[in-house]
Order: sequence, then structure tokens, then C-alpha cells
Amino acid sequence: MKPAPFAYDAPRQLGEVLELLAREDEDVKVLAGGQSLVPLLNFRLARPDRLVDLNGVESLAYLRVEDGALRIGALARHADLERSAEVASGWPLLAEAVRHVGHPQIRVRGTVCGSVAHADPAAELPVALCVLDVRFHVRSVRGSRVLGADELFLGFLTTSLEPDELLVEIEVPAPPAGSGTGFAEHARTHGDFALGGAAALVAGEEARLALLGAGPVPVRFDGAPGDLPDAAVADLSLTGPDAEWRRALLRELARDALERAVA
Amino acid sequence: MPRREDVRFLRGEATYLDDIELPDLLEAAFVRSPFAHARLGAIDVEAALALPGVAAVFTGADLGKRARALPAGAVDDGIVADAGHPVLARDRVRYAGEAVALVVAESRAVAEDAAELVDVDYEPLQPVLDPRTAAGMPLLHDGVADNRLVTWQRTHGDVEGAFAAADRVVSQSFHIPRLVAAPIETRGAIARVEGDVLTVWCSAQDPHRPLAQLGVSLGRGPDSLRVVVPDVGGAFGSKGVVAPEVAAIACAAEDLGRPVRWTEDRAENFLAAYQGRGLDADVELAVSAEGRILGLRATLYPDLGAYLYATTAVAPHTTAMLITGAYDVAAASVEVVGAATTKVPTGPYRGAGRPEAAFLVERMVDLAARELGLEPLDVRRRNFVRPDAFPYETPMGWTYDSGDFERCLDAVLELAPLARWQELRDAARVEGRVVGVGVGMYIERAGGLWESAVVRVEPDGRVVVRTGSSPHGQGHETTFAQIAADELGVEPQAVELRWGDSGELPGVGTFASRSVAMGGSAVASAARELAERARDAGVSVTDLGGAEAESRFSSGLVFASGAYAALVEIERATGRLLVLGLAAVDDSGRIVNPLLAEGQVLGATVQGLGQCLVEEAVHDEEGQLRTASFADYSLLTAAELPPVESRFVETPSPLNPLGAKGIGEGGAIATPAAVANAVADALASFGVRHVDPPFTEAKLWSLLREAGP
Amino acid sequence: MRISVEINGRSHEGEVEPRTLLSDFIRHGAGLHGTHVGCEHGVCGACTVQLDGEPVRSCLMLAVQADGRSLRTVESLAPPEGGLHPLQAAFQETHALQCGFCTPGFLMSIEAFLREHPQPTEHEIREALAGNLCRCTGYKAIIEAVERAAERLHRP
Repeated sequence: MKPAPFAYDAPRQLGEVLELLAREDEDVKVLAGGQSLVPLLNFRLARPDRLVDLNGVESLAYLRVEDGALRIGALARHADLERSAEVASGWPLLAEAVRHVGHPQIRVRGTVCGSVAHADPAAELPVALCVLDVRFHVRSVRGSRVLGADELFLGFLTTSLEPDELLVEIEVPAPPAGSGTGFAEHARTHGDFALGGAAALVAGEEARLALLGAGPVPVRFDGAPGDLPDAAVADLSLTGPDAEWRRALLRELARDALERAVA
Repeated sequence: MPRREDVRFLRGEATYLDDIELPDLLEAAFVRSPFAHARLGAIDVEAALALPGVAAVFTGADLGKRARALPAGAVDDGIVADAGHPVLARDRVRYAGEAVALVVAESRAVAEDAAELVDVDYEPLQPVLDPRTAAGMPLLHDGVADNRLVTWQRTHGDVEGAFAAADRVVSQSFHIPRLVAAPIETRGAIARVEGDVLTVWCSAQDPHRPLAQLGVSLGRGPDSLRVVVPDVGGAFGSKGVVAPEVAAIACAAEDLGRPVRWTEDRAENFLAAYQGRGLDADVELAVSAEGRILGLRATLYPDLGAYLYATTAVAPHTTAMLITGAYDVAAASVEVVGAATTKVPTGPYRGAGRPEAAFLVERMVDLAARELGLEPLDVRRRNFVRPDAFPYETPMGWTYDSGDFERCLDAVLELAPLARWQELRDAARVEGRVVGVGVGMYIERAGGLWESAVVRVEPDGRVVVRTGSSPHGQGHETTFAQIAADELGVEPQAVELRWGDSGELPGVGTFASRSVAMGGSAVASAARELAERARDAGVSVTDLGGAEAESRFSSGLVFASGAYAALVEIERATGRLLVLGLAAVDDSGRIVNPLLAEGQVLGATVQGLGQCLVEEAVHDEEGQLRTASFADYSLLTAAELPPVESRFVETPSPLNPLGAKGIGEGGAIATPAAVANAVADALASFGVRHVDPPFTEAKLWSLLREAGP
Repeated sequence: MRISVEINGRSHEGEVEPRTLLSDFIRHGAGLHGTHVGCEHGVCGACTVQLDGEPVRSCLMLAVQADGRSLRTVESLAPPEGGLHPLQAAFQETHALQCGFCTPGFLMSIEAFLREHPQPTEHEIREALAGNLCRCTGYKAIIEAVERAAERLHRP
């Protein structure tokens, strides 16, 4: 399976990237890690006119803590998140969730921002980011804007990013002091697409839960830790022949994630 | 003994089909039908031809009679329709993915670009999806009434009487889904015509069957057709029959005067490579109150797909022939109702009918035991073919050469160890956990036909063995060298194996776990002859420089057997099936290389587990394959591997000088039966009678839930 | 586009299209056939090579992305004078390969894994191996080979 032909640019500056994305006469897509995009290109399910390769824009390659918040640049890889001591201590939910992303070979190349922008409902990081009240920083030639998780994810493989916009950074505030987090997922085989998953954050009497596999986008619930799994799952409108099993699976995964958060 | 051939594979120096470099090579891509069933109208190739880099486009009409449909295979005492697979579709397409046109270009990428530009007129027709009801559906092949591709029936003994006399009749319907063989190397071939001779390099299980099948399609005999098999990255049955695409590229190579390569991609392999299994069955067992099996009746509805390949009928026929399994059953009647469906055809896939047979009979035995209130293991013992009954002719007419089924059972009970598993199960049940233990016996029909070997001692004392067998992972370079070395009294390192060229040596091929029994025996015979010559001459074998012996070894079928046991748990909250332990006892006669034999068992077992846990080829109501990539069709990884213990029992076969049977498929045959019985055991107290594979979370969870809290 | 890629210490130049996959460049551009293509959608791992020492799926990279970069493929493992890398030797001893098609991908994944995890537990090994599919061996022998290799490579 070979991709359909496309033009290719590998700029070194963010400004050039944005200008290329702003082209109206072409369908332009961003290539970062390629772990989601290249399979689609190979199957010819994605047929952009032009690819803009982000990998040469060094200013986007960062993962750092600034003013207590974790700032994930567009070229930060899953592996960077996995290996970072700061992430492990300050944002253990992300460290835990990222270990479930595919396999090591995927994590070496795949980017966190790329995964979010791709918005695959089976992706782990969007769900984890959802309970951390993150802010998505978006740039285009027209300017910048900041989105919350509820504003970014619209549907299956769909975000509110305009064709000329690039997700340049994910800003993750420090979790509330004394809070605990947990992540759980279920896939048919190790590293396979998740059939269900849950990310939880518990801070005293307040719990946040986000579910993967409950719909085309992550679904967030807030409530008391004891109420949450059942209340969240009962609320879901699931369709299909396996709907009740999925509900039970999600309840189980939510309970698991919440237990880890409380532990 | 570790394998000598490993060095080139480990160093990345093996030569698989896509590694072969030839000057002026063109690449092929196929236009494939998006519809499961459609009338084929005009095909406009102008835009495709105009693309720079495109050398030619061929349709079925272009090939005409130059490439006839591949031969449909016959089955003993059965009726098969004349419904061979056309090389490129003519007036109709009959499965989504069927090749409609061939594009040849300077690169695969350009060939795919051009394929998209080929404009095909399709008039969609109604898909036919269920083999049970296909008879009433629109005809898929002119002249093939009731869409019946394969008809077979055999009755032996007083079946009516057995059922009339029975204290109980146990009935069950089964659905065994289709599977995708999915070798990591896809199919492929290179065709080159020089003068009168067409040479085809083919990623295949052997050169002989492509030689025969391409010969029929292209009208070429062995003097004008040569098939060469390079290193092959797995096959598991799916590279036994030559792909019709190969005949198409052969025509292209002839017309264009340049070699043409087709490297199948994974998407094509999912769509167009013949699938395995696919069987609906209704089975009845007539039993006495003491658990004696008096008779068996079965109707098999294989999901054959749209066409018959040379071996499409083999699996259901084999299932029918082995339906009585390890048991001494006096009366049996089996019918195979093989209707066409608008799906890619099926063909042999590791086990090829034996897994289905083991699954059916082993589930029936457990069900009978349950209905009679008896222990399943006791029912087995009561009905085994006795060790002194061999050679034993089954009601369906095959003769088991040797075996000791009770010994296999005892061995697996000790290996598991079953007593401990039963303790674990009972203790777990007290805690409310859903745990089960199951056993599955199996019979594997192997060997048969003939195989060739030439053993030659070179002047420098090296030994060169040419074999008609053809390895694709089995390790023949090592095993056959061992066999020859043993007979000749030399070191295995002094023996070199050559294979894979139809021009060098005719043969039958590598399938049905036959290589050691047949190919190995041919090698042993030829080597033995040389050894005798040396003895008679009073010299050592290595002094026979230039001497050669040829052997064509033939024998009847040999029958491997075994017993597998499984311990499973079903997680209540998610329905997930955990295989906690698997014990495998295989009797494949005399084992030549224990390390390699165990490798076969473990590999086959994991494929069998895949069938239980995650694998299923699914078609939707439009006949579209829903599981068309590794994203949707999962293969097990190392992380899912349960503990597996393997042991061998050896009851040598009297039918060949090695006493060998076959070890390549047992794991795939017995594992689903054992796991299915374990799952049923786990669910028995929940009022669940039977579950078909795959045993997915959703399926098991729903069953537990229906049973109530 | 003209690219220059260092593979196993040697420079390979070639003319490629933007859409040319790195796996195809390695195999047909640089003529290194040890890296195999199994799926072209990033699941089977047969195409695994190392980019700056890290395992990546070469079917999910464009050749142009490797311009000026340094890759290692399976051909770099065995000593040039002959013999086998300890990991390869372990594979042979435990019968961790049958058809051999997936093997280079496993070797490149594991070699990187053992550098980062010199004393892995069995559980860690199984998870690390999950990114490569094998249809022949049933994995048990591969796990044993990794354990054996880890012991030998770790020996001071």
C-alpha cells in the first residue's frame, strides 16, 4: 500500500509551517510523529496535496515545567513523556497513561500533540489530559487561541482545529495538591487499540473521571469518588449489540482507575 | 540440534520474494472489486494507460483463453462444481477484493495510482452470505444449481438402528468462523519469459503445485514452465495454491518482454488470500446410558466462498472423514453441503479441517457426558479406539496406522497436572470465580501420496540432498540433514540440502504436516541405498564420490494424535478469558529433532489460541470484510502467551522407515477443542450449554449476565 | 528529492519521491534486504530499524525524513568478520525463529530494549516484545532467547 503522491515541505520555523497551513488552494496536513497519519496515507484513506513536516522545527521540541505547569511542545514524543522524571513525579497520570500507548517503537516517534490533534477515540492521552484541566494552545497565521478539552474534541477523528491551525503546545497545570490519579484500559491484545479506558483524579471529596470508548470523544464526569463509577456509566448512551458489555467494562475500568487514584 | 539455516536469517541475508532483484523489473498492482457481487461491465483503462510510468493494463477480456481459470479440486466420492477461480474476472465479480484488472508499471506506487484511474462499470447484485441458505439465493455460477459447489455423503453401519437403540440422543449446532492465515510475509511472485520458457519465482509452500496449477491455466508443461521457491516467510496453508494473480503477471511478462513482480500488500492479503475454517455444523450423537457412543450423524455446511481452488474442498472433506475422532464408533453418517457464498474462497489453513473435526467431536463427547451425568474423561476412555485395534479403519473409511489415545490422555493429565487444576478450579469456584478445565483429543491425518529425494556424494565427500519438500520455517535444512547424516554415518554439517526448483526435482510438496514422514523418508531411503552401496563396496560413504541414489517414497496416510488440556478463568466483571495453563501431548510418531518439533507445537498452539481469543474474519451484510487489516484482525503477542507445557508420546508409524507422522499442526487442531471444553466447563453451572469461538469478552460477559446474578 | 542517509555507518544516497517510505528506501534504494515489510500500517514490527539507536517502524517514516540521519538495520548486528551477535546466537540456541521473516524486526527492537533495560523481568520482556508479531514460533523461544541474551550481555 503506497501513498498517493503529495508535495512535501520541511520548514525550520513555525512561521513557515503556519503559512503553508494557510494555503487555501491545497489540502495541507501536518506530519509530526506519523504514527497515526502514515498508516492512513498508506491505505490512501488520507490523500493530502501537501505534507508539512514539523520535525525540523526545533523550537517546538520541548517538554518542560514552567511556573508549575507542564508544557508539552508539538514535537514532544510519547517517549519523552515516558522517560521524564518531572512528569513521573508531577503528573503521574500522564506517565501511566503514556505507557499504554501502542508499543515502544510507536512511542519513540509519536507526539503527544499529534495524538491529541488526531483525536482517535481509542487514544489514551486525550482521556488523561481531560481530567487534568489542560489548555490547548493553537496557532495560525491569523493569531492564537486557547482551548479547553471540552472545546477541542468534537467527534470521531475531529477536533475544532481549523485547517490552517496547529496545536503548538499543551499546557498542563499542576494537579491539586494531595490529589491522586489512576489510569486503566482494556485492549484485545497488548498495545492494540483500547476498547475502553478510564482516567481518574481524586482530590479529597472531589473526583474527576474521563472515559475512553464511551463515545467518539472522551467523556468527563465529576462527582464524589464513591458515586462516580456507577453514576457516570449509567448516564452513558451506548449503542450496538455489545452496549451492555461496554457499559460493564467501562464501570470496571472506572472503578480500577479510581481505586488507583485513591491508593 | 539447533538449526544451521538460522545464520542467514539472523544476519538478514535470506532471500525472500521481494528481495530478488532482476534487471528491468516491472511492478504489478490489481484493480479489485469493491462489491461482493456484481455484473462486470465495461472497463475503461485509457486514463490509467496515460499515466507516465505505466507499461500496460490487462483485463480478463485481454487475457482471454491465454489464462484459464485455476483448476477446481476434486474430492473422493464427492461431486464438485466446475467453479474454478478465474485469473481476472470476466462477466461477474463474486467477492469483494476479486481481481478485475492488472496494472503493470515502473513502481508499485505508480501501479496503484493507475489502478485508481481504471474505470469499471459495476452493476451490484445481491450478496450471498450464509451457506445454509445459499440454495435459495440467486445463482452465483451459471449451471451450478442451488449454488452447490461441493456435495459429499458417506454412511457406514446401521445408523438408524444406533439412534433407535440409543438411551439418549445428544444434539448440537456449531459455528466455527473463518480465519485469516496472516503469515508475516504476504504472497508474491515474479514472472519472466525468456524464449519459450516462463520462470516464476513464487512465495509458495512448494514449487510443484504452482507448476501444475499454472500449467493448467497457462497451457504450459514442465518443459516451458519452471517454478522456483525462494526463502518463504511463513504460509500455514495459504501459499499452497498459487494465486490467480500469478497467472496474470505471467501473461504480462510475456507480452512486455520484461519480468513482472507482484508483491502482495497486507490489505490485499486480507481481502484476497484464501481464508481458513468457516463451518456451520449440526451434529447428533447416539449414546447409551453408560456413555458408549453408538452412532453419529452430522451435516456440515462449510462456508466455501465464491470459487473452488484445488484444495477448497479438502478441509470440509477432512472434517467429515475425521468426525469420529479418537473413538470407536460403529455407525456414522456425514453429509457435506458446500454452497457458494460471495466471499473470498476458503482453503487449507493450519489444521485444514482437522481442527473443526476435533472441535465437533470433542464438544459432543463433553455434552454427552454432561447430559448423561458422567465424567467426560470416563466417557472418552470408554470409547477410545483400543491400542490393539490398529490399523483401525474408521466408519468414514480412513485407516489409522498406529496410536495409543489412552496413553496420550494419561500423559496430558499428568502433564497439566489435571488433579491440581481440578483442585484449583474447585477452590476458585467456592470463591465465586468462574473457572473451568477441559480436555481435547485430536487426530491429524498427515503424510500420504509420495515425495522424492536425490542423495549425492560429491567427490570431495560433501553430501548434497535434493528434496521435493520445501521449507517455509519448518527447518528441513537441519532435519533432513540429520536424517541423511544418520543413514550415511557422516556429520550433519557435511550435508547440504537443496529444494524449491521444479526444474531440479519433481515432488508433491509441503502441506498436511507431511515433510518428515514423506520427504524425510525419501531422503532416508535414498541415503540408506548409498550406505548399502558403500558397505557392499567395502568403502566409507565419503569415498563414493559421484555416487547418487534417487528415491520416490510413497505411503498411505499416517495419523498423528494427541491430547491437550486447558485451565481457564473468565473474569466476571469484564468477560475476559484468561488461559491459565495449557498442556499439550502430541504423538507424532518418532521425533527426529525435539527442539524443532516443540517449536511446531508452540507455534501451532498460539495460532489455536488466537482462534479462541481474538481471531475471526467477519463479513457484513454487504459481503464486505470488516476485519481487513491488523487494526481489526488481531494476532496474539508475546504478552498474551499463557504457560504451555509440551510433551511427546511416540507410537511410531509402521508406514515409513522413520516411523514419523507429522507435528506441524497438532497445536492448532487440539487447542480450540480443549479451550472450548474448558470454557463450557466454566460456564456449565450458569446454564450455558455451548459457546462457539472466539471466546470474546462481550460474548462471555453476556452469557454470564443472562444466567443471572 | 535527493537524500543521503547513513545506514550502518555507510552513507547511502538516492533520488526519492516525498511519498517513498523509509522501508522501501532501505530495501530497494540502499539494497539492504534484511529489513522486511509485513503490513505497512505499523502493527507487525517486521520493518523495525533503529534511528539514533531507538527502535522505529520504518514503514511509518518517509525516506525524506531520514535525510541526514543515522540508521541501524539488522545487518549491523553481526560482527563484520563473521559470527553472530550474542542476541542472534541466543535466538539460534533457543530456536526463536522459524521462517525468519519477523526476526530482523525483533532483533532491532530487542537490541535497543536490552540497552535500556539490561536486567529485565520476564513481564517486562513480554511487554517489550508485544510490538513485534510472530506467526510461527508462539513466542516462548523468543522470550527465552531474550533472557539468555540479557544474562550474557550483562556479564561484566
